[in-house]
Amino acid sequence: MMKHKNHEMHGMKNMKEEGHSMDEHHHEAPVEDEEIDDWKRKLIGAWIFSIPVAFLMLSERIFGIRFFSMEYTTFLILAIGFPVLFIFGWSTIRGGIRGLFTFYFNMDSLIALGTLVAYFTGLFSLFFSIQDYSGVSAMIMAFYITGKYVEAKARGRASQEIKKLLELGAKKARIIKGNREIEVDISEIKIGDVLIVKPGEKIPTDGIVIKGESAIDESMVTGESLPVEKTKGSNVIGATINQDGVLYIKATKIGKDTFLAHIIKLVEEAQSEKVPIQVLADKITSVFVPSVLVLALLTFGGWIYFTSDLSRSIAASVSVLVIACPCALGLATPTALMVGSGMGAKRGILIRKGEAIQTIKNVKFVVFDKTGTITKGKPQVTNIISEVKENYLLEIAASIEKLSEHPIARAIVEKAEMKKYREVKGFKVLRGRGVEGKIGKSDVVIGNRTLMNEKKISFKDFETQISNLESEGKTIMIVAEKGKVIGIIAVADAIKEDSVLAIASLNRQGYETVMITGDNEKTAKAIAKEVGIKEVIANVLPEDKAKKVEELQKKNMVAFVGDGINDAPALKQSNVGIAMGTGTDIAIESGDLVLARGSLMGVVQAINLSKATFKKIKQNLFWAFAYNIIAIPVAVAGLLHPIVAEIAMALSSITVVTNANLLRRKKI
Amino acid sequence: MKKAKITIHGMHCASCALNIEKSLGKVPGVKNPKVSLMLKKGFAECEDSVSEEELKKAVKRAGYEAREVEFE
Repeated sequence: MMKHKNHEMHGMKNMKEEGHSMDEHHHEAPVEDEEIDDWKRKLIGAWIFSIPVAFLMLSERIFGIRFFSMEYTTFLILAIGFPVLFIFGWSTIRGGIRGLFTFYFNMDSLIALGTLVAYFTGLFSLFFSIQDYSGVSAMIMAFYITGKYVEAKARGRASQEIKKLLELGAKKARIIKGNREIEVDISEIKIGDVLIVKPGEKIPTDGIVIKGESAIDESMVTGESLPVEKTKGSNVIGATINQDGVLYIKATKIGKDTFLAHIIKLVEEAQSEKVPIQVLADKITSVFVPSVLVLALLTFGGWIYFTSDLSRSIAASVSVLVIACPCALGLATPTALMVGSGMGAKRGILIRKGEAIQTIKNVKFVVFDKTGTITKGKPQVTNIISEVKENYLLEIAASIEKLSEHPIARAIVEKAEMKKYREVKGFKVLRGRGVEGKIGKSDVVIGNRTLMNEKKISFKDFETQISNLESEGKTIMIVAEKGKVIGIIAVADAIKEDSVLAIASLNRQGYETVMITGDNEKTAKAIAKEVGIKEVIANVLPEDKAKKVEELQKKNMVAFVGDGINDAPALKQSNVGIAMGTGTDIAIESGDLVLARGSLMGVVQAINLSKATFKKIKQNLFWAFAYNIIAIPVAVAGLLHPIVAEIAMALSSITVVTNANLLRRKKI
Repeated sequence: MKKAKITIHGMHCASCALNIEKSLGKVPGVKNPKVSLMLKKGFAECEDSVSEEELKKAVKRAGYEAREVEFE
């Protein structure tokens, strides 16, 4: 998280400033608490004065007991009610009136106008024959403040997970300098510093273990519920908790580059994303207040015209002003989205585009990239069939593959475990087919069938063996020297433990699961069968994945699940892109939903969560619309006392926020 | 282009967030302003020429207080 203080120039970001930011982070969350405290203070004050007002009003109107003369009672209520409106309700009155003049109307404008009109009837009643609503005005304000307080608290609850996330980062770290341990502020860590983390402590920042062994609880960041074993060379994530061993960690990422900072950024930005269904609600909200103002005037005019009863006209129009609630409409989407995002963040699921949660319910195809998504993405050599000495075959193959970046090449190099490699000349990668090069005087070609056919190298003696290995889901590399096959190396990429379970769950839910891969048909089908995927698109070059997604889209909506780094175009092309992280890295730019953890169960959870959140939004919007559609006409008809109208209004927005909080009960 | 993140105080209803969005949108060089009532933050894409003061003023014009502006 990088921040610029007011006086600092854009672009200046030294360590010191980043330091500031971490500290400042603390007093960011309290904006919320400050608001709740503020409402609470107003609430107590407002009721201290409103209760006597209520007592005076009720004793007279309901029980007919009159302690004082009528003028004196009115005067008393005006006096006691004054602080309720003009001290505790002052920010509402001021904001509301200001809004009327600047045309930035909000909720306050309605309440301010409603309470002021009611209050002044009290003054007028001293001189004219008119019903005194001054007591009512104090009660309206008190209930309004109460409603706002309860709502602010409920909103705070809605964002509790996100708030926790914002405060998750470690504050202090211990750096090893020479043989000394120095405690420093988190902001003072530089890349390359060695940090010591004792059991029970937070990992200060992203790094790599250089000494020690321990299990780390990463659940707060990735949603992984089981502790993760870490040894020398393991990557660790800042803000996760070291459980039982002492770890020496070299810092690799700091400040805004850390995993946690990325997650926070994603979550924050997503909150301001609009869900399409909200657009209509927003449009209504933006014209809501002025419309209600006009409606209140019309109500007043209508009542005067038909009844000539000034008091009842005022009561009806005040009811209209205070019952209309743009809040419920405006809160419906953001509160549910907030709760949904929070639930997701806890499980390592980040909703990046609000639109995705709406789109996902129309998705029919869930397309998985194979390598790194369904499988672990770490292929290993499983079988070697050699016509020559196995060591020689491996030596030749590894020397050439050493020059390639491909995961399969790495698997072969790993298997060979050689100290010295043969010199290779004329090395060439033949995309999607294999590699070639010259060792000594002999041409060496390593690759698939296509490549062998291309080079006119016969492999028919091996056909049965190749075929058998492929039907086990293995990828075959044929090694040929001087135009003759000298061996076969089979490589397999183990599937992730929970892939089968996740895909079974998606199939059960009626999705058509599809696997897309560069492997040949046979290998691909074997793997697909193993995990329970029915449809396979094989032999796809990486750059063609997006095109294949586009073809599927002609039939129906597509969700694409990939690693976000190699699959970015396909993720973008799909209707809903689900990008999978690896547990230590996160694909930020592509993907509408981002999974911190590499488990496919996350995909199922992400889909379920999105659907549940969207359902909640729809429910909320329905209530908010229904409330206003029913309540406003009732108020226009003069059937509601203004205080009842105000209570109904307060309850409507509280209901929406509380309903959003109920999303947490949903199992995902 | 730069991204601005504004911490806003005083919002308490949904029309507030929309008001601020409207007001921020009127600042020349500000694109796509989005205000989250839940986070009490506003986000906008800004031309490099847009200053912190302009953003704060826009928030104030709508009747709210911008506590902090961060550019990225």
